[in-house]
Amino acid sequence: MKKEDIVKLISAEGMEFVIDKEAAMVSQTIRNMLTSPGGFAEAEHGEVTFPEISAVILEKICQYFYWSLQYSRGKETEFHIEPELTLELMMAANYLHT
Amino acid sequence: MENKTIGLDKGWDYMQKGITKLKRILEGLPEPPFTSEEYMMLYTTIYNMCTQKPPHDYSQQLYDKYREAFEEYITSTVLPSLREKHDEFMLRELVKRWANHKVMVRWLSRFFHYLDRYFIARRSLPTLNEVGLTCFRDLVYQEVHAKVKDAVITLIDKEREGEQIDRALLKNVLDIFVEIGMGQMDRYEDDFEADMLQDTGAYYSRKASSWIEEDSCPDYMLKSEECLKKERDRVSHYLHSSSETKLSEKVQNELLVAYANRLLEKEHSGCRPLLRNDKVEDLSRMYRLYCKIPRGLDPVANIFKQHITAEGTALVQQAEDATSNQVNFIIILLV
Repeated sequence: MKKEDIVKLISAEGMEFVIDKEAAMVSQTIRNMLTSPGGFAEAEHGEVTFPEISAVILEKICQYFYWSLQYSRGKETEFHIEPELTLELMMAANYLHT
Repeated sequence: MENKTIGLDKGWDYMQKGITKLKRILEGLPEPPFTSEEYMMLYTTIYNMCTQKPPHDYSQQLYDKYREAFEEYITSTVLPSLREKHDEFMLRELVKRWANHKVMVRWLSRFFHYLDRYFIARRSLPTLNEVGLTCFRDLVYQEVHAKVKDAVITLIDKEREGEQIDRALLKNVLDIFVEIGMGQMDRYEDDFEADMLQDTGAYYSRKASSWIEEDSCPDYMLKSEECLKKERDRVSHYLHSSSETKLSEKVQNELLVAYANRLLEKEHSGCRPLLRNDKVEDLSRMYRLYCKIPRGLDPVANIFKQHITAEGTALVQQAEDATSNQVNFIIILLV
């Protein structure tokens, strides 16, 4: 995989999740950050830190990105969410504009 | 997620640091670009300040502070730098400041994006983008547009006299007029186009009155055609395309319509001599120039009719005098 096509999402505990850029762009917030011209450091390094999102939530979010891409291509499966995660997941989704 | 609330002052303090950093980058001062952490922290601060429970819900204040940030930057930095320059330098400075401003709007909108999503939608307020543009329009554009328009028209007249001017600069300046209308052409039309047309009319009227004295009809027409072509060229290079018809009409008016009679009736080179001497190229130019003007061909057609009548009568006379031979008569008529 070419270096330009992946991004690294870093959770509050420091755990790193490496995903495709295309998947990350599902989130408007991340998309804005990566596509703005004029010297955003992470546009070059391809990493984004989220000091407020825990690793478990971030993992679920990454899974969501991929599921969302699949869904838009026609594969209509279900996305299962554990009830305990729901509240935090929704807040993270709000934050990330997903 | 964060549980402690952030006070407005503390939160805004943090934002202010980010905004100052942005301003330094825009001014070209040495400043490391934003890192992902800084961006996220700025965005997160806004997010937190907006999602806290009232009375700590600072959305309204943040919206006002956003506008204030622009106003402050404009009044303290942008306006003074524009006021101290004139003419072409002022135009360059304006273009630079406008580009800067657009970048600033884009970045601050990203930071404050959370406001856009909920607060603004709920209250149907103008978006952050619009607020930014409005600030520039009300503070900067209002003050300088008259001077800008004069500077631009001076440059256009210079170009008409044959001097080289910076066309790219003019295009950028005129784009500002169009963009600041925010979807409508009224700024371009009222603040620039109207005066430009008037000045064009005056310019060509002066030129025409001197040319009509000195030049023959074909020469005058050549010059008119040249001018029309140059003006069309000008539109394609930097004026807005909507100006083309109005500009052509104005030029045609001043050069061709106002002096139509004098031109065509010229003693040794007007329409009649051209017809008599079969100057096809000049005649076709005359047709090309006048056919675009409504009813412009009427005087030409009149003269043409008179010419044919005169020639025809002369021929009839000739034929009658020469011989009563029917065949010859017909042949002479037909040739």
